[in-house]
Amino acid sequence: MRRPLEIKADEVAIRSVVSLTSALESLSSMQIAKTKNRVLISNQFFDEVWNIYKQIRVDVLFNFGRSEGEKPIDKELLILITAKAGLSGDIDQRLIRRFQEHYDESKHDVLVIGRHGAVKLKQVYVNYDYYFDLPEGDYINVDPLMDITRRYARSRIFYQNYISLGQQTIEDVDLSEVVSSKGRVADINTVGDDVVSEKTYIFEPSSYAVAAYLENSILRLTISQFIYNSRLAQVASRFRAMSAAKERSLETAGELRVELNRARRNQVDTRLKESLAGLKKVRAGGAA
Amino acid sequence: MTDQLVVPEAAEVSLAGSKPTMAVKVYAPFQVYFEGEAYSVSAQNAVGPFDILPKHRNFLCMLVPCELTVQPVKGNKRTIKINRALMHVKADSVVVFMDV
Repeated sequence: MRRPLEIKADEVAIRSVVSLTSALESLSSMQIAKTKNRVLISNQFFDEVWNIYKQIRVDVLFNFGRSEGEKPIDKELLILITAKAGLSGDIDQRLIRRFQEHYDESKHDVLVIGRHGAVKLKQVYVNYDYYFDLPEGDYINVDPLMDITRRYARSRIFYQNYISLGQQTIEDVDLSEVVSSKGRVADINTVGDDVVSEKTYIFEPSSYAVAAYLENSILRLTISQFIYNSRLAQVASRFRAMSAAKERSLETAGELRVELNRARRNQVDTRLKESLAGLKKVRAGGAA
Repeated sequence: MTDQLVVPEAAEVSLAGSKPTMAVKVYAPFQVYFEGEAYSVSAQNAVGPFDILPKHRNFLCMLVPCELTVQPVKGNKRTIKINRALMHVKADSVVVFMDV
């Protein structure tokens, strides 16, 4: 059995872990509330722009904002949105596993957003071609990312999706498919008076220029929306990880306390036995 | 007895408030810069400066970097700096989507 002093030192260390995980849990909880609110506000904005796009581009294929003469790279660009650092539970690990199921070095180039994902990719011996830090502020400048996306024939985004506090899923979607499917209207007759065309609207400078601009905007907003969702999923995953860590450290602290009490009791018992044995010897000596 | 046009009190109120207005919203994903009733909106696109007044036809345009001016029903004229935006006008409703 270990000595009480050693167990006491371990218990103190574990109590520090409990305090630390509790603080991180509270921090994550506040971040969730803030990020969720931000995502809800931005979704309203995105939906309104989507609605206009849906009405204007009902019959046109999405072209990533490329001009007709541009020839794209005949590869698929895989975009991974990951956390900026660890302490986010297993969410990045799950994303990397999903990515590996899809990845073929000869067919894909890789763009990673977030330092943690870049580190995880290195660990599985995957070299990424492009890297961006995960944006932290409200305003996300995705233009550099769009410039890269435009060069490729196809792009697929791997991102983390917030379902609830207890559930975050890993999703992967074809970027052009998600944009065109959202922009597509199942039955054009149902659009009715909402169709935005040259008959019903004035466009400036021209309908083509506005449509091309809107197409770029939609791509920009789609990528931004995935980043916002991923950030929310990451903080929720961090909250879960910290709650689990706090629970485990509390359990360990409890077990150490029991072990400490036993060790102390054992120590007292041993000393008592030694004293009794000594006393017996003294008595036996006196009697002789 | 003199002929005198008698305007009832209710009609006076109606005439005073008859200047047409439109609903205006200028916002970005995380910030609403202006939301309310206004008499006019002025901005600039690739063609040049323009004004939107009530009863304007449906209109969709990209704004170039400029200062967008809103003349609200209540309060002073509001000026908002635009970097990149989309303006949508429909049925006396003007929405400016900033940073798209």
